[in-house]
Amino acid sequence: MVESIVSYGVGIGCIYALIGITYNVMFSASRVFSFTTGILGMLGGVLGSLFIARLGMPVVVGFALTLAAGALFGVLTEIVAVRPVLKSLEQHLYVLSTLALALMIQQFTAIEWSTEPQPFPRLFAIARGGFDQEFWMPMLACVVVVVGLELLYRYTLVGRAFLAISEDNYAARALGLPERALRTASYALAGMIGVLAGFAGGEMLLAFFANAPMLTFYGFVPVALGGMGNNRGAVVAGLLLGLFQQAANFLVGGIFASVAVFTMFIIVLLARPEGLAGMAAERRV
Amino acid sequence: MLITRRRVLAGASASVTALTSGIARPAIANTESIRIGYLPALTGASSSTGIGINRGVELAIREINASGGVNGRQIELITRDTQSDPTKAVNGATELTRGQQVHAVFGPLNSGESLAVVPLLARMNVPQLHPCWVDTLTDPKKYPMCFRNAPTNQQIGGAANRYVVEVLKRKKVAVISDTTGYGTASVNAYVPMLKAKGAEVVYQGNVDANNPDVKPEMLRMQAAGAEAIMPWSVNAGFLSRLINVRGQMNWDVPMVGQTTLGSGQTRALLEKPEYWTKVYPNNFRSCCFDTTGKLPDRTIAFVERLRAANIDMSDTLLWWIALGYDGPRMIAEAVKNAGSKPEQIVGYWNKLTNFPGVYGDISFTPEQHDGYPDNEIVMCEANSLKSGAFNLAPGYSV
Repeated sequence: MVESIVSYGVGIGCIYALIGITYNVMFSASRVFSFTTGILGMLGGVLGSLFIARLGMPVVVGFALTLAAGALFGVLTEIVAVRPVLKSLEQHLYVLSTLALALMIQQFTAIEWSTEPQPFPRLFAIARGGFDQEFWMPMLACVVVVVGLELLYRYTLVGRAFLAISEDNYAARALGLPERALRTASYALAGMIGVLAGFAGGEMLLAFFANAPMLTFYGFVPVALGGMGNNRGAVVAGLLLGLFQQAANFLVGGIFASVAVFTMFIIVLLARPEGLAGMAAERRV
Repeated sequence: MLITRRRVLAGASASVTALTSGIARPAIANTESIRIGYLPALTGASSSTGIGINRGVELAIREINASGGVNGRQIELITRDTQSDPTKAVNGATELTRGQQVHAVFGPLNSGESLAVVPLLARMNVPQLHPCWVDTLTDPKKYPMCFRNAPTNQQIGGAANRYVVEVLKRKKVAVISDTTGYGTASVNAYVPMLKAKGAEVVYQGNVDANNPDVKPEMLRMQAAGAEAIMPWSVNAGFLSRLINVRGQMNWDVPMVGQTTLGSGQTRALLEKPEYWTKVYPNNFRSCCFDTTGKLPDRTIAFVERLRAANIDMSDTLLWWIALGYDGPRMIAEAVKNAGSKPEQIVGYWNKLTNFPGVYGDISFTPEQHDGYPDNEIVMCEANSLKSGAFNLAPGYSV
């Protein structure tokens, strides 16, 4: 039982964490919570299955094309659903625009792909075992993303420019940083992270259009618990969410597992509204 | 008697009246087409069923019209794709009845849409025939013009329960479903039926179908001593996960339940093909191979017609095509024998006895608008799918 809780819990927790990071990368660049993140996760599974299983492409080619499609969808999100509403952020119009785009893509996938879950291919020809690739793939993806983002933000000029616009958009522009291009690049990066989550978790979640709302929802929990814009917090909270959810599956089971997860979510938010790793925002009065 | 001008005129007019009233009018045949409104889900989430049924419907219409129609009248099938959306089904039903003024409606083809459409058509006094399973979708008092040419959920669950308790002789049963309305309603309905048959329900649960890990539930069932698992869900992902985990656990327990257990979508999601053994979904005797590997004679003739018409059976289920084929034929037969007015069609159906459908013999009475016979509902072997039909599950007599 413990082995199953850990392997499944950490595996699914890493997928949630990656979706949480996708939220954060988009949020840092635009102050927008885009509800297209779950769509990206869903597309990772669907496109991976399309390229590799249905079209018979090599895994590496299918993976590269999936990442490219994710980047493209990220850019599309920024242009279509975010850029037009940035001037009126306080009206929260992005909720409607990103949700509308997400619903359109989800329906399109249902019609053109399938309304039934489709199999996701085995990426490595290894016999199934206890600690299977369906579990360690999301973990590996999560480690790569976290380390990659740390390196990007700390050691590259582009990464520091990302940080600059996320810290103070106006000051960054005043210094001559190309804010719009950086925002678009951030969305492309977020798109790749989102589809990576779905691709790495494809064997676990299958290639299914209805994964989108589930990932949008559960992927938001690490953001809320870990603190908005805090990637480390999202990883910790995502892993805790996965482990708690899987433990609840074993201990209470059925529909009560979901109830337990959201009860805990509400309790944590009541105790620490800023999230587990977040800091209370200071405000000049 | 004096012959006056007045008497001549009166006699002449009387003669003309007598003659003209006695002359037979020339027979003018009613050549107006019979308009059948049809509400399939050809796109969207429920479209796999709709596409399968549609193949039978179109074949039936082609055959009837090619053989001269119904009393010389051609059938006009007016189709409105519901897109698997109850709202669009309601819009389609309104347009078919008010705009197109159809003589009868076949469909919708899934329960979610029918729940919205049946009360509407009842208010409009339009005869309706549908194949949806939800029990409340026929009620001769509330919906006197609505008939069902398919089993109810009670009949479906009853057949599965009979198979588990009477054929497999399993007494400790686990019943599981997803958290959809269909899933929870099925568990709530079938558990008391199982208990009434003397079975002990050792596990009962509803699980989120998107949960990627169902191992905890399977371990609970095993720990409770389940000798048979009865899953009620139309979600192929959920069902395949249950089957895969059973295989990983090397647990030799039979799984008996919903037809989707035997669908191609479920098969595609199995980790190993051999995991599909001892999985017994609902099916229908008319569309199953018996122990000698033979379909019933009526079905053999139907399959030959399907092949002659180049209708693909490999990617769908034979019983979907069969029930689609029977629907327009039942409407045509009512019009042929009674007329095309609503009360004539309904009057005929209310006395229908053993309509020889490919899917099954259908009978109605004024008090019973569920026409499918219990003994036609059986379980089959999921891994025996061939040209849309299955082998009967072990234990049935031919």
